[in-house]
Amino acid sequence: MTQEIELETRDLNFYYVGGVHALKSINVQIDRNLVTAFIGPSGCGKTTLLRCFNRMHDLYPHNRYEGEIIFQGKNMLIDGIDLIRLRSSIGMVFQKPTPFPMTIFENIAYGLRLKGYRKKPELFERVEQALNDAALWQEVKDKLQVNAFALSGGQQQRLCIARALAVEPEVILFDEPTSALDPISTAKIEELIVELKERVTIVIVTHNMQQAARVSDMTAFLYLGEIIEYGQTKKIFTNPDNKQTDDYITGRFG
Amino acid sequence: MTVEQRRKLENLTALVLSTLAAAFGLFWLIFILGDVLVHGIGALNADLFLSDPAPPGIEGGGLRNAFVGQIMITFFATLIGVPIGVLGGTFLAEYARGTRFARIISVLSDIMVSVPSIVIGTFIYALLVRPLGHFSGWAGSIALAVIMIPVVLRTTEDMLSLVPWTLREAAFALGAPYYKVIMKVVYRGAATGILTGVLLSIARVAGETAPLLFTSFNNNFFSWDMNGPVASLTVTVFQYAMGPFEEWHTQAWAASLLITLFILAITILGRAIIKWRYRS
Repeated sequence: MTQEIELETRDLNFYYVGGVHALKSINVQIDRNLVTAFIGPSGCGKTTLLRCFNRMHDLYPHNRYEGEIIFQGKNMLIDGIDLIRLRSSIGMVFQKPTPFPMTIFENIAYGLRLKGYRKKPELFERVEQALNDAALWQEVKDKLQVNAFALSGGQQQRLCIARALAVEPEVILFDEPTSALDPISTAKIEELIVELKERVTIVIVTHNMQQAARVSDMTAFLYLGEIIEYGQTKKIFTNPDNKQTDDYITGRFG
Repeated sequence: MTVEQRRKLENLTALVLSTLAAAFGLFWLIFILGDVLVHGIGALNADLFLSDPAPPGIEGGGLRNAFVGQIMITFFATLIGVPIGVLGGTFLAEYARGTRFARIISVLSDIMVSVPSIVIGTFIYALLVRPLGHFSGWAGSIALAVIMIPVVLRTTEDMLSLVPWTLREAAFALGAPYYKVIMKVVYRGAATGILTGVLLSIARVAGETAPLLFTSFNNNFFSWDMNGPVASLTVTVFQYAMGPFEEWHTQAWAASLLITLFILAITILGRAIIKWRYRS
C-alpha cells in the first residue's frame, strides 16, 4: 500500500532568539492517517520540530525558520500564510492539560464558534460528537455546564483532545500528552490516539519509548537538533540502522 | 551572655518593637474610625438623604445634592476611567508584551499612581475649567478618571500577565485570532482580578477631595447638570467641617461616616471576590 504524504519538511532549520540553532536540516515526511512519533533525549529538538508544524514559534518574537514545510501542496513557511487557517487544520494537544477557564461545553464550543458555528442545536450536536470521539461523553454528559477545571487531569486532557477534534483538523500534534497523567489515564489516551488515526494524521512527541512503540507506525529519533534515524517503528525498535538509535532505545544514553 | 540568650533577647526586642509599631498604627486607625462612627451615627436621619441643604442657622436640611452629585461624578469617572485602564493594560500585557515601550509605560503608571491628587485636580482645572470659564461635574469625573486609569491599567496588566501562556497557546492552536484569544480566554482567566482592581480604584477615587475642589467644586442646590458645578460628599465635608455652624459640623460627620462606609463596602466586596476566586 502506498502512503500519501500529509506533511513534509525540506531542509528545515530553526533558530530560537539569539540564534540558537535548534533544528538542523530536517527532512521528514509524515504519512497521512498514520501515527508518527518523535523520540529523543531532552533538548534534542523534538518539541521544537512539532511546534514548527502549526507555527507556534511565531507567537514569540525573533524566532526564525529556514527551509520549507509542505502541507496540502503549499509551503507553510512563506510570508502571508494564513496562520489562523493553518492552525485550524493542524490542531495541537499540549503536555499539561490546558482547559479554558469556562464550562466543559464552552471549551468545545469555543473552537466551533471560531469555525463559524453559531446555532445552538448544531453546537450541541457537534459538542456531543467531539466528546464522543474523545471517549469522554459518557463521563461528562450530565455536567456539561460544570467548570472544566473540575475534571480530573486525564479527563481534562481528553477534553483538550475533543476540543482539537471539534474543529475537524487534518493533523493533530501531541506534545507529550501523557507526561502529566497517571497510568490508567495514559492508557486511555493511547487507545484514543490509535483510534483517531482513522480520521486524522497524528504526530506525537514522547519521552516514553514504550509509548512510541505502542502507538506509532513511524518513529523518528532526534538528537542534537538532527534526525538521526527515521523509519517504521517496528524496525527502529528492533533493528535500527544507527548505533546512536540503538544506544538510545536500549537505554544506554539519554 | 551565651549565644542562645543573645538570640532570645534579639527575638524579644524585635517582637516588642514590631508589636508597639503595630499598636501605634492601629490606635490611630481605631481612634479615627471610632470617632467618625460615634459622631456620624448620631447625625444620621432620613432628612439627610431626602432634602437639600437648608440655609445656615435654619433647622433641618440634608445632603441629597451631595449624595446624588457624588454618585454621578464617581459613576462617570468609572465609565471613562475603567475602559481606558483595562484596554491600556491589555495593550501592555498582550500586544506590547516584553517591549521597552511597555516597561516605560508601566513605570510611568506606577509614578502616576503616587502623584498627589491635587496635582491632577489643578491639571484638569487648567485644561477644562479655566478655558471653559466654569466648574463642571464633567471636569470632576475626568479628574477622578485620570486618577483611576493608572490603577486599573497596572492591575489589568498584572492580572493578564498571571494568566499562563499555555492557555493562550491552546487558544491559538485552535486557530483563534489574537483578539478572540484575549476576549474569550485571557479575560476570563483574569476576570476576578481585574474586577477587584476596578472596585479598589473606585474606592480610591470615591474618597478624593482635592481634585474635586478644582473641578466640580460644590453646589448648594440639587443639580443633575454635569456641565455646571456639582456637589460631592467629600467637598461638602471639607466645606462644612471648616464652617462656623454647629449643624454643618454634624452633617459633615454624617457625610464622613457614609463615605467611609461606602469605601469599606467596596473594599470588602473586592476582598470577598478574591477570596471566592481562590477558595479552592
